[in-house]
Amino acid sequence: MADQPVSRYDLLVVGGGSGGLAGARRAAELGATAAVIESHKLGGTCVMWNASSHAEFLHDHADYGFEGACARFSWQSIKNKRDAYVSRLNQIYRNNLDKAKIHTIQGHARFTGDPEPTVEVSGRKYTASHILIATGGRPSTVSDEDVPGASLGITSDGFFELESCPKRSVIVGAGYIAVEMAGILSSLGSTTSLIIRQGGVLRNFDALISSNCTRELQNSGIDLWKNTQVRSVHKTDSGLKIVLATKDPEDKDVEEKTSSIEGVDCLLWAIGREPNTAGLNLGQMGVDLDSKGHIVVDEFQNTTRKGIYAVGDVCGKALLTPDEAIKSWGKSSVKTYTTSFTPMYHAITTRKTLCVMKLVCVGKEEKVVGLHMQGVGCDEMLQGFAVAIKMGATKADFDKTIAIHPTSSEELVTMR
Amino acid sequence: MAALYSRSRLKLLLRSALHLSNRTLTGSGGKFDYDLLVIGGGSGGLACSKEAAQLGQKVAVLDYVEPSVRGTKWGLGGTCVNVGCIPKKLMHQAALLGSAVKDAQKYGWQIPQPVSHDWATLAESVQNYVKSLNWGHRVQLQDRKVKYMNMKGSLVDDHTVRCLSSRGKEMTVTARNILIATGGRPKYPTHVPGALEFGISSDDLFWLKETPGKTLVVGASYVGLECAGFLTGIGLEATVMVRSIALRGFDQQMSRLVTDYMQGYGTRFCWDCVPKKVEKLPSGLLQVTWTDSRTGQDHQDTFNSVLWAVGRAPETGTLNLQQVGVELDGDTRKVMVADDERTSVPNIYAIGDIAQGRPELTPTAIHAGKLLARRLAGLSSQLMDYSNVPTTVFTPLEYGCVGLSEEEAERRYGKDKIEVYHAFYKPLEFTVAERDSSQCYIKVVCERDGDQKVVGLHFTGLNAGEVTQGFALSLRCGLSYAQLRDSVGIHPTCAEELTKIYITKRSGLDATVTGC
Repeated sequence: MADQPVSRYDLLVVGGGSGGLAGARRAAELGATAAVIESHKLGGTCVMWNASSHAEFLHDHADYGFEGACARFSWQSIKNKRDAYVSRLNQIYRNNLDKAKIHTIQGHARFTGDPEPTVEVSGRKYTASHILIATGGRPSTVSDEDVPGASLGITSDGFFELESCPKRSVIVGAGYIAVEMAGILSSLGSTTSLIIRQGGVLRNFDALISSNCTRELQNSGIDLWKNTQVRSVHKTDSGLKIVLATKDPEDKDVEEKTSSIEGVDCLLWAIGREPNTAGLNLGQMGVDLDSKGHIVVDEFQNTTRKGIYAVGDVCGKALLTPDEAIKSWGKSSVKTYTTSFTPMYHAITTRKTLCVMKLVCVGKEEKVVGLHMQGVGCDEMLQGFAVAIKMGATKADFDKTIAIHPTSSEELVTMR
Repeated sequence: MAALYSRSRLKLLLRSALHLSNRTLTGSGGKFDYDLLVIGGGSGGLACSKEAAQLGQKVAVLDYVEPSVRGTKWGLGGTCVNVGCIPKKLMHQAALLGSAVKDAQKYGWQIPQPVSHDWATLAESVQNYVKSLNWGHRVQLQDRKVKYMNMKGSLVDDHTVRCLSSRGKEMTVTARNILIATGGRPKYPTHVPGALEFGISSDDLFWLKETPGKTLVVGASYVGLECAGFLTGIGLEATVMVRSIALRGFDQQMSRLVTDYMQGYGTRFCWDCVPKKVEKLPSGLLQVTWTDSRTGQDHQDTFNSVLWAVGRAPETGTLNLQQVGVELDGDTRKVMVADDERTSVPNIYAIGDIAQGRPELTPTAIHAGKLLARRLAGLSSQLMDYSNVPTTVFTPLEYGCVGLSEEEAERRYGKDKIEVYHAFYKPLEFTVAERDSSQCYIKVVCERDGDQKVVGLHFTGLNAGEVTQGFALSLRCGLSYAQLRDSVGIHPTCAEELTKIYITKRSGLDATVTGC
């Protein structure tokens, strides 16, 4: 073992995801020798969300004068195209790495006990002056000890392997992944229930977003179970039986209520994600982890061990809570502006959705420190505002900006 | 706005200014019927009147729609609400849904063919929505205690307006300040035989009860292109006749991308052609003869409708402006205004499409109207800033922009002093849908030196309006290329591509985005 040749690089990257690839490519551009270690393929995209958006638009077609636009959805067809697209992306990423002369090493990496930080993959050793850990995260799971039958469910990884649209879906979780999965499945034709532990979804987002999203979910036909947890899961002839317990925290006298959902063909756990650090053998490396297993880093991505860095989901995010502004600046210094409206797209549709927007400003000059919104088109609206906010835009800057008409984004520069 | 007034005008101004200060001392109520009288209930007029009323002024609005050549009329709200932005965007949306149906099939939706479009359903829904907006505006005026009169206004003197109703009822009102916001109307090429008798304009298109059918759109302004675009999108045969260039005044590279996309989309183009005459055939179809200015040859074809989109003219004809001393521009016939929207008569103002040198856009009229109201109430001295006004052309492939075109930047700074960053990107939505993204493009024009301040930003793609708004704000805050590149992208969106551009035109390198 001691005699085994160790391949040396300037930069060794463990994990070929967004962070890892970006790091490796940039290093190579700057003249460094680099290698990327990846144990799987490069991951999925939001192609499924586009498919479900079409579902909503198809409902609106008749209102806009289209006759005959009733449709059935073929899951197999979209899965094939999505998988093909993802494969193409994998190939493009691979080509990009090859063009940049970055070595790709297939396999699982583990740190060895060598004095100089060294990584072993399938019996071969690699080292570098700089090692970047970018192994990302994976969906959290519930053990069968905690919830009997939990392993009968899938996670978001399993969602992308589904061969057909589930008839009856039950999603557990209140974060954005749970909300997105529930929305997609429901629009594509699955009768969907969403189980959440507390009273609303997206609790880590601004309260306006949380309450609006919870309401819109219910309006769209998703069966929302608040203050509910899964107690057990059973396999029956007609599908899964999910046993639930509901307890309203406001009502101390009422007992916990037990219910069940039967005939379920898809139980999806979307209860959180955890960092992929367990298999790395980081224990004796001097790389500190937090209580959840995230790698602790400073603002330069340094870990607690010199020469080892970490980036991306494996580090954990500093979640921006909506009350942070008040905590930092004091309640009297914080001013919020909100608006809600029905986008003009819905002027002639029977189906309606709401758009909500909020600006969080601080200080006398009303510097904008937070912008939150939900509604049609918000994904494309936000980028330009993010740039401006980073530049230190104030409410006055917003007000002086001329609107583009007719759009939804103009509402952000015409708030009173 | 230099040398606006002649010597005699200056004397008149001075005299009027003294006169004005005397009048303000006496206050409103006793002296005049209103503090502010607004002629024109469109984007600018309504915004100014509502703001002024809210600030305690006594305000009245006169709105009157002269029927179009074809007899089309509409209610309160002006061009934007009735025959512009609103119905245009809804019809554009209908066209987008038409494309979405085709895309949906690639996304796994099995739709029994064929899907057809019914004009009457769309038109009725749009017209009903516009009427609800007319009503909404009336209610708003009432709530703000603005007096609304559906009457045609003309000036008697600098404080007096004659009002005439459609039934011939006449009255006179006086006001301390008068705002002219009567906007514009589509021009007809009256030198083309048959143009008036057989053609329609954007005033008529949105109010048609029956489908316009196979349509010839004459004119390649944004009005012409947007109309041809949505007509194509809902399944009609549409042709655009272009005299020389499309989207005059806009960045011409971007203009070409817009029209290239439209050609791939199915809109036909007759480049370098001018109409010669329009005749009606016994079948009811319109026969159009035109000349190809490259060859000098004449051509003919038949259409169900001919839509004139050859420019707009200001509504100043019946206002009696010149007799009262309000000067008009010699070429455009629009009202001459100073930086504070004042005309050559000190208590008469003009905003919106009627004012010389102003963008013909709703948001600038609204903004100018509100600022004017605040100045008139004595609460502010802030003037309207007309620079870096963002806009979006809602053609099938939308085009959003703010700041200078590349040509204008070259003219102002010199080619050596600017750096143009650009990228051809592919929206994720186009991938599975197998759509051609060759015209999806981003261009950021910057100063070459120092921070590389951004002077112009251009984007073609989906949701261009929604993408551009925030960047317009950033430009106003002094955006530099470095700040743009330092921004973290929102993924996966089209907007994030703006934070990733790094290839310059100068380098000559391939500007196609290749993934992260």
